[in-house]
Amino acid sequence: MKDLLLANPDYVTLLLHGLGVTARLFAISWVLAMVLASLLMAVRSAARPWAQRWVWLFVEYHRNVPGLVQIFVWYFGVPQLLPKVMQQWVNRHDGEFVLSCIALTLYAAAYMSEDLRSGLRSLPRGQAEAARSLGMNYRQSLLYILLPQALRASLPPLVNQTLALFKATSLAMTVGVADLMHATRQIENETYRTFEIFLVASACYLAISWLIMGAGAYASRRFSAARH
Amino acid sequence: MKLPATTVRFALAALTVLASFGASADQLADIKARGTLVCGTLTTTEPLGFQDPQTRQIVGFDVDMCAAIAKRMGLKLEHKGLSIEQRIPELSTGRVDLVSAALGYTKERAQQVAFTAAHYQVPIRVMVKKDAGIDSFAKLADKRVSAVKSATTEIFARRGLTKSEIVTYQDGPSAYLALMQDKVDGFSTSHTAGLRYLAESKGEAVFINDSLAWEPTALGVKKDEPAMLAAVNKTLEDMEKAGEIDALWTKWYGPTTRFAFAREKKLTPIATFAQ
Repeated sequence: MKDLLLANPDYVTLLLHGLGVTARLFAISWVLAMVLASLLMAVRSAARPWAQRWVWLFVEYHRNVPGLVQIFVWYFGVPQLLPKVMQQWVNRHDGEFVLSCIALTLYAAAYMSEDLRSGLRSLPRGQAEAARSLGMNYRQSLLYILLPQALRASLPPLVNQTLALFKATSLAMTVGVADLMHATRQIENETYRTFEIFLVASACYLAISWLIMGAGAYASRRFSAARH
Repeated sequence: MKLPATTVRFALAALTVLASFGASADQLADIKARGTLVCGTLTTTEPLGFQDPQTRQIVGFDVDMCAAIAKRMGLKLEHKGLSIEQRIPELSTGRVDLVSAALGYTKERAQQVAFTAAHYQVPIRVMVKKDAGIDSFAKLADKRVSAVKSATTEIFARRGLTKSEIVTYQDGPSAYLALMQDKVDGFSTSHTAGLRYLAESKGEAVFINDSLAWEPTALGVKKDEPAMLAAVNKTLEDMEKAGEIDALWTKWYGPTTRFAFAREKKLTPIATFAQ
């Protein structure tokens, strides 16, 4: 079986390392994106009109410009605006990973905030009114009454968005992040065994996507039960 | 025992199908019967294969090599544009017969594709910023060096600069930009491809005066097609003897072009590099 591609331990190490980087990139940007999306939604649904317009602009930019361009802007564009010393600091501290993470976070947060907002709008008006009549301020009513319900209502589109973010992590390869796709392309380059290695990579992506979908299905069962 | 007529007919049909498979096992015979040679080149790499802005045709050294080989083999050329990643899959599925697309030879790659003799060799260099004070590969230790993903420069950089961190980018311009923005300290590139960036940097960047390797570049033929490989190799030898490869090289890389790069090494059997 010496002809089997994965019989070579070097390639297995490379793939596992890539898988680890992909997982880290995904996990960090997902958590940050969820937090940011909640903030954006809160601003969009209640703050002053000028603040709402800024959020609208943010969402429009990130939804309408290709993800690859956004990563390039963060990697090649934004650091140029920083002073030289800070640029060097960023370059010495895994700039590829950090800047891709920022780009992916903003990209996903724009979509997720819209999902959350539509979840919020699906709630009956009485929920907000009841919370206010109990003496809660806007922050409290959002945090304890509205957001949990909005999250529940927007769970299906959020799972979709999570999958999209997971697949979008492969874009970070273009600026030198050594993720799963990066490892795949490196092995392909060294061996020219294109079909086999892309098959392995597809299987990896598919397996993790299924895990995410499974987690989503579990969450929706768990939380919809709490509703009744 | 007498077999029913339908069984006999079926068996005959099956034999015919098998026989036709047998015929297609010799690619050279198929190509000759067809009368055309499908030859693939890159489409965005000057001067190997790129679009002529006036005629919108793909032209270049690799395209001319295709045309010359087809002509000498008495075949009509059918040109096909390929991306870097497409080269080998298109060859193994038989959609192209010959790949003339900056195909750098490595032993691992030779298990997937049959290389012809190497028709040219290019030194792999590392470009650095002039004021960085880096004048040898040793001084790149613990520093970051960029390379283009899926190019042989990536492989040579990983092999030759084991103490450096290799950061890969999607294409040449990105890897060059990373150097100019100080995201990396070196940029590994073939000498020929690098000339364009040296000009771009307006003197800010220089090559380290050493080479990571001399990359043998060859044409690619489908694996296990000895007749086809021998025919292309024979054609290359004839072309070399007639000075035709040199003439094509001078046309695209000669002293009057902005590349001005000499073809120092002549046609070399690929076995030379197999150790």
